[in-house]
Amino acid sequence: MSSTKRYWKDLGELHQVEEVTQGRDREFPERTAMDEVLGDPSFNGAVTGRRDFLKFLGFGLGAATLAACETPVIKSIPYVNKPEEITPGVANWYASTYYDGEDVASILVKTREGRPIHISGNPRFGLNRDPKHDAGTINARINSSVLTLYDNERLKGPRAKDQDGAVAWADADAAIAQELEAIAKRGGRIVFLSNTVISPSARAVIEGFKQRYSAAGEEGAAVSAVQHVQYDTISYSGITNAHLKCFGQRVMPSYDLTKADMLVGVDCDLLGGWGSSNEHSWQYASRRKPENGPMNRHWQFETRMSITGANADKRIAVKPSEVGAVLIGIHDRVAGKTGVPSIGGGSSEDRVLAAADALMDARGRSLLLCGSNDEAFQVITAHINWMLGNYGSTIDMAGHSWCHQGDDQAMARLLADMEAGKVDALIMAGVNPAYSLPNAEAFKNALSKVSLSVSTSGYADETASLCNWICPTDHFLESWNDLMPKVGHYALVQPTIARLFDTRQWEESLMRWSGAEGSYLEMIQSTWRAALAERAEVGTSFDPVWNTALHNGVYAPFAPQPVELSFGGDIPAAGTAAKSASSGAGAWEVVLYTSEALGNGLHANNPWLQELPDPLTKITWDNYVCMSPADMEQMGLQLYLGQESPASLVKLSVDGREVVLPAVPAPGQKAGTVSVALGYGRGSNGERVGRAACLRDEDGNAMPVGANAYPFTHLTDRGLSYSVLNASLEPTGDTYPIAITQTHLTDMDRHSVVKETSLATWSKHDPKNTYNHPHELAVHEDVNEDGVIDARDKRSVREFDLWEEFPVEGVGHRWGLSIDLNSCTGCGACITACNSENNIPVVGKDEVRRSREMHWLRIDRYYSSDMTKERAKEEGLGKIDMYLKMEVPSEEPSVVFMPVMCQHCNHAPCETVCPVAATTHSNEGLNQMAYNRCIGTRYCANNCPYKVRRFNWFNYVTEQFGEVNPAWDDLGRMVLNPDVVVRSRGVIEKCSMCVQRIQDGKLQAKKAGTPVADGAIQTACSAACGTGAIIFGDLNDKNSLVRTQSTQERAYHMLEEVGVQPNVSYLVKVRNVEAQEEHHA
Amino acid sequence: MSGRPRPPKLRSLFIASAQIVLSLFLIAPLNPALGQAEDVALYAAGEKIFKGNCGACHKPDKDLTGPALKGSRERWEGQGDIYAWIKNSQDYLKTGNAYAKGLFEQWNKSVMTPNALTNEEIDAVLYYVDNYAPPVPPPGTVAEGPAPGAPQEIDIWPWMLVLGLLFLVVTLSLSGVKRSLTDAVRESEGKAPKEHPGLVGSIREWAWNNKVFASIIGLLVTVWVVVALWDQAWVIGVYGGDEVANYRPEQPILFNHTLHAGKADKGNLAIDCQYCHSSAEKSKHAGIPSTNVCMNCHKAVAEGRSPEGTAEIQKIYAAAGWDPATLQFTGEEDPVEWVKVHNLPDHAFFSHAQHVAVGKLDCRECHGPIDEEMTVAEQWAPLTMGWCIQCHNEKEVNMAGNGYYDETMARLEASDLGHRELKEYLEDEKITVKELGGWECAKCHY
Repeated sequence: MSSTKRYWKDLGELHQVEEVTQGRDREFPERTAMDEVLGDPSFNGAVTGRRDFLKFLGFGLGAATLAACETPVIKSIPYVNKPEEITPGVANWYASTYYDGEDVASILVKTREGRPIHISGNPRFGLNRDPKHDAGTINARINSSVLTLYDNERLKGPRAKDQDGAVAWADADAAIAQELEAIAKRGGRIVFLSNTVISPSARAVIEGFKQRYSAAGEEGAAVSAVQHVQYDTISYSGITNAHLKCFGQRVMPSYDLTKADMLVGVDCDLLGGWGSSNEHSWQYASRRKPENGPMNRHWQFETRMSITGANADKRIAVKPSEVGAVLIGIHDRVAGKTGVPSIGGGSSEDRVLAAADALMDARGRSLLLCGSNDEAFQVITAHINWMLGNYGSTIDMAGHSWCHQGDDQAMARLLADMEAGKVDALIMAGVNPAYSLPNAEAFKNALSKVSLSVSTSGYADETASLCNWICPTDHFLESWNDLMPKVGHYALVQPTIARLFDTRQWEESLMRWSGAEGSYLEMIQSTWRAALAERAEVGTSFDPVWNTALHNGVYAPFAPQPVELSFGGDIPAAGTAAKSASSGAGAWEVVLYTSEALGNGLHANNPWLQELPDPLTKITWDNYVCMSPADMEQMGLQLYLGQESPASLVKLSVDGREVVLPAVPAPGQKAGTVSVALGYGRGSNGERVGRAACLRDEDGNAMPVGANAYPFTHLTDRGLSYSVLNASLEPTGDTYPIAITQTHLTDMDRHSVVKETSLATWSKHDPKNTYNHPHELAVHEDVNEDGVIDARDKRSVREFDLWEEFPVEGVGHRWGLSIDLNSCTGCGACITACNSENNIPVVGKDEVRRSREMHWLRIDRYYSSDMTKERAKEEGLGKIDMYLKMEVPSEEPSVVFMPVMCQHCNHAPCETVCPVAATTHSNEGLNQMAYNRCIGTRYCANNCPYKVRRFNWFNYVTEQFGEVNPAWDDLGRMVLNPDVVVRSRGVIEKCSMCVQRIQDGKLQAKKAGTPVADGAIQTACSAACGTGAIIFGDLNDKNSLVRTQSTQERAYHMLEEVGVQPNVSYLVKVRNVEAQEEHHA
Repeated sequence: MSGRPRPPKLRSLFIASAQIVLSLFLIAPLNPALGQAEDVALYAAGEKIFKGNCGACHKPDKDLTGPALKGSRERWEGQGDIYAWIKNSQDYLKTGNAYAKGLFEQWNKSVMTPNALTNEEIDAVLYYVDNYAPPVPPPGTVAEGPAPGAPQEIDIWPWMLVLGLLFLVVTLSLSGVKRSLTDAVRESEGKAPKEHPGLVGSIREWAWNNKVFASIIGLLVTVWVVVALWDQAWVIGVYGGDEVANYRPEQPILFNHTLHAGKADKGNLAIDCQYCHSSAEKSKHAGIPSTNVCMNCHKAVAEGRSPEGTAEIQKIYAAAGWDPATLQFTGEEDPVEWVKVHNLPDHAFFSHAQHVAVGKLDCRECHGPIDEEMTVAEQWAPLTMGWCIQCHNEKEVNMAGNGYYDETMARLEASDLGHRELKEYLEDEKITVKELGGWECAKCHY
């Protein structure tokens, strides 16, 4: 049955490789420093005698005691005029919106005494909010973005290249405006290059700028002197151009996954980085809870294992060169059934046809998404969805997205013009082409031919450091803005702190250069006034609308009018193009992707994100070449990675461009392909892009984290391509240490860690006998009353207890978490939210390698082999063959993500072994940790079956860790949560279930004189989980959601047989597959 | 040698201080105000009327919005009808009285509101202002440290030290004399001078000869040292309370808590604690009031009850950027750097809101008689964890009328386990904070 299925964390464990797995059963696998010190032979010649040693010891002790005697005088300086809304010690929350060109999300910003310290999703408003359970989804990049506000490498004011440093704004403005004026006068060309601008007011500002300098042209000179080019770091030109060709609108549609019963993703990481992923996540998860209505079915065709593929019911590995065939195969099958001409030449593999049939069965309730940026692929995809009748139901063109408007071809033309010396002024905002263009070197050369180059980047990054002027923009938490992510949906960005440095948001800079009066805020307000005046028939006056919109962060005045669509795409041409795009495949095919943590590279300077383990590979602080384990074995590369077993370096080269990166086995990667994450290798020429993105060696030389893979992207006439069909790969023979988290510090190797089942099995509603066996122990009494005492006489493990019961059941509160393995997409937003809430230190790659990362919450990822007993029976395999096959890492393993934090056991093994009672149990069911009692024996960590306790090996707030940990200098320290202690060296710490929030929530209830309402208290992780995978609440509250979930059929406790009675329960993962497809081992 | 008198300086200091103390006792009970006014009742009635009707714009002895009133009757003598002028100055101006007109011009044509005082009342007021004597704050409410001339606590330690040193010198010289004499005797007897073991040697020799006595002394000294160290160790890092002298740091402004918060019947202002410490019921921190809260009153109250008090008020003006001459804010602000009196360690999270808004504790339960005895704020309670949990052990939870605790009780009564627990709680007939979890680590440490 399901509990006998074999799960493995990495290949070393699967194959039981002694030298890799050795020591993993120990909490602290590395030799202790003391062993190393004492083992040092040079100590044998030491001359310090016992008496001297005792003298040193005595002096040291005395000196330390004397130093501790001084009681400091603490100053307390109140405001002179206290702002009315600030009460010291009470947090204020402001609604705002995050937009960086990639992600857009409604957020709440928590401020304490005027400092933003935490970001969570807006639970009441916004596109990224699940209306059914009032939670806003934001990914790890968004909730970590508060940290970069306090980055000391942000520019502190405008800079001029020729003046070799800082200048005053007035001087910069005057000089830039004068030069623009001169260029306009002589009919020169001014280009404003930005990422997609979705702000109506910013568009108005750009329009004003255009008018200011276009009109100035003298006689004979070109009139239209100013051009606005939009260039997105990750391009969506393929899909927007396809919709231009098919439906006459160059936009990206909105998708409604809640309506999709059948979802097929082709090379599309819709939950990870593709499109409006924050919106997709909650929509997807809302259809993954079998109790809440029919589950959707999700099949995924992809090359690398993405988190979307990991969540799919069925995942089919394909090469990039096969994507076209898959699409054409599905297209032709659907076309055949709907009587539309087919293309021909597509894949006729069973699973492709089955996917097409399943889509067809769910016509109008299905969705096919393709992540390729090839226009031809997107035209075919659009046509499939058109034939399926999905436009108007799961695909919304009326309420389409305004994001991702970037145009690859326009950017290419701009570059060509620059090279030809036809561009006189280039002003850039939100882009970093010298890093992210495929031909960045060409751009750098071309930039030197532009007489006036201005960057508004907040950092002296790859592009900005080459410009004549850097006019640094504000952090988004210091800015005003209005956004229009979709038709009929407006969102406001408001500052939550005064400017830390002498920066100015680029919209305002543009206004200054256009000679416009007033601030950008006034500009926004006047834009809104004008827009509202146009809609005067609705009877809306400005102030109430503005105030409500500012409070909510969102203003959605109207639902978009349905549009009549007719399909105008040229399918035969698209088919031909798709086939030609798939030809010429060589030995190795490469997929370039954006990682969960760093996205397109904008966030590379964020240490929380650098240390966020990749959802699949669990690697931190690096990018790498993901390879199929079979390929690696064949090439003789190191397959088993760990602290003592470094990865092999490989050289990946495409058309003369090459990069050397470590090779990492990635089960699920299609054989013959590799994948590399974009967004790494920032600051490789020593640019100051933020310390975490680019470490420095002792001589101050740049040591970029990872390597830049953007040079492997290449522009075709159908869009920028993120896959390469013909690459070469060879081992260099060198090795490289990798910081990987999951091969250490995970749970005991036992069953009942993860449980999963099929929807068919679940539907029988007989959990105890099918998928969710309770754990029982044989007892020496006749339990089943059959007259014989034998192995069938069993009692539940819950009935056995060494200890007296804690009075928590039914008494007072009993806090608990319920974690739904079905809803967890593995994104990792909970981890960074926890970092931010609980002041968790960043320890850096070296310490992660020593298995000393400090995350209180981790997401375990388990693969399972696809060979099962049932399949062996079907295939007529013998037992030996079956077991042999089980050990072969499959191309298509299934994956389970499991968030693990302290389980707050009611019979906690850690509590009983603490010699100083530093960890105790509360009457609210919490396992408490008193840091100041802890003397660091680490017995508790050793005794914890879940391995969730973390030891502070160092004082991480010191300079020693400043290199990896910019969060801990004077400025970075401002991000700390004042409600949580910063732990010092030598103590154990672990998840407190955000007890500071519990205490605050109870206090609010007591002050209001009401019971604590369900949902009023949220832990950082549960608030960050927009998909509802983590639910927090009071288990003693009979009506609470957490109680309902933890008593339902799917609920189980991790390692139930250990009998520690956790307050955290899990819900069995249910895959929407037929029972016979279910993997059994 | 024992008959040697004390150092004369010490004795004279004692005498001087005794005189000061005595004289204070003699003077203190006398009310200086009553000492000058003959008709006490009339003075008191006038004071009442003055404060109710005139005090907003006039002071007896100083100009404010209007002139100082002391001697006004004298000034009006032969100039016109002071009663009519006081009752309704605008009407009186219409009579064309030159003196009244001059006054009106002199005081920027500020109109005094008409009032309905009788002539007798006006007499009382004028009697009061003419005989006005500024109140002297009762002893102990002066907003300063030890006032000049107040008894100084005489530190006798330096004198003891001098004495001790003298004794030491005498002892050493005597022993030197003795040794020389012994040597002289031996020399006269023709013996070789005795080997001198030195100070340490002689102590050792003495101890060897008096083993029991030496061991007892040694033991006592050791015990004393250990006990002293132990006692000292308890107060390392502790700011105040029972073990160490109450922590009373010097503050940049000598704010007088008793004057502001003390009882009205003792001549104090009886301002509610939370008027200034308003975040006590909202937040963890009671908060030190921002300067604008001070200015709510001190815009009007520019004068203290003593010149020292007035000087302190000027410091608020400097902080708030208030120009008392023009009655305008200048914008030149300079925040006051108060010294924090009540310091908890960083790992202890104490919430004022929990104790004030929910527990309904009186401020004085933890802060002591701050409104009666502390002119300068000081730490009254030890603020140690032992002190916290002792209270949690005894204090009954204030559950009345709070829906949160109704739910707590409902849950206790709904289950068997809860019943058992409740019975245990109620053994002492009350539910204490401890019984609901007030002794648990994570209630305060996280």
